[in-house]
Amino acid sequence: MAAAGILVPAAATEVLETATTDRKPVYTVVPDYPEEARRDRIEGEVQVCFEITREGRTRRVAVRKSTHRVFEKPARRAVKQSTYAPLPKDAEVPAVKACRMFRFSLEPVVTEKVG
Amino acid sequence: MLLASVRAAAADEVKTVLGPRNIQLHDGAQALMAGDGEEGVRLTLLGLASAQGIRETRSAHSNLCAGYIMIDRPEEALVHCDWVLERHPDHWKAYNNRALAYMALGRLEEAEADIRRGQEINPNSRTLKIIKGMYLDKTEPVTPHIEIDERRNQAAGNKGDKPT
Repeated sequence: MAAAGILVPAAATEVLETATTDRKPVYTVVPDYPEEARRDRIEGEVQVCFEITREGRTRRVAVRKSTHRVFEKPARRAVKQSTYAPLPKDAEVPAVKACRMFRFSLEPVVTEKVG
Repeated sequence: MLLASVRAAAADEVKTVLGPRNIQLHDGAQALMAGDGEEGVRLTLLGLASAQGIRETRSAHSNLCAGYIMIDRPEEALVHCDWVLERHPDHWKAYNNRALAYMALGRLEEAEADIRRGQEINPNSRTLKIIKGMYLDKTEPVTPHIEIDERRNQAAGNKGDKPT
């Protein structure tokens, strides 16, 4: 399942403020919420950092920060399956680094009484 | 050394392999574990009739509680779980099973209390965690939500941002 829109809040850009190149995501994979975490009502965040190759693939995918290990594998896998727009052949930048923050949360289901 | 080996050999000679004493109880448990609730309950009831000693009787009642839950007869399951817990209040499996019976009957507060008691006795039980999840799905259903923040990229050569 690809995410329709990706949020880039100002707070998320503070650490990596020396940005020189933006790469456009083409296919963003949203990880599955781990069943064990849903069952045990665990929420958390994982930051995954990686390199984007000239061809738009991700490589050197690694977890940088995580609040709970249960989320790390699905987050890493999602990044590995995601792709970016390839660079033009004459582009000088060889590869870029990026980080993606995944926030796993559980929202209460609100049902309305009918009748 | 020799004496020890002779003794060991003698011990081997007198060793007898015993099968389950209560065949019906054993076969009933096997049927339940294989997912055949009807057959498991039938055999376990027969096994209970010929049960010898508190251990066999307790196993029979405990398995009947599980079996009746499997065949969707929670009222009868409760009778057998109650029997076990009245005599063995530290039997976490019976709390686990009784919680399931209570949930099937919509008696959620009692289910929650049994899950809590079961987890006090066996905090690492995976089964109890699953039952707790089922209970929470009934009382506080949630829907998973995943938000992705894409940070701005930077040149790979920059220092201080190596993925770890």
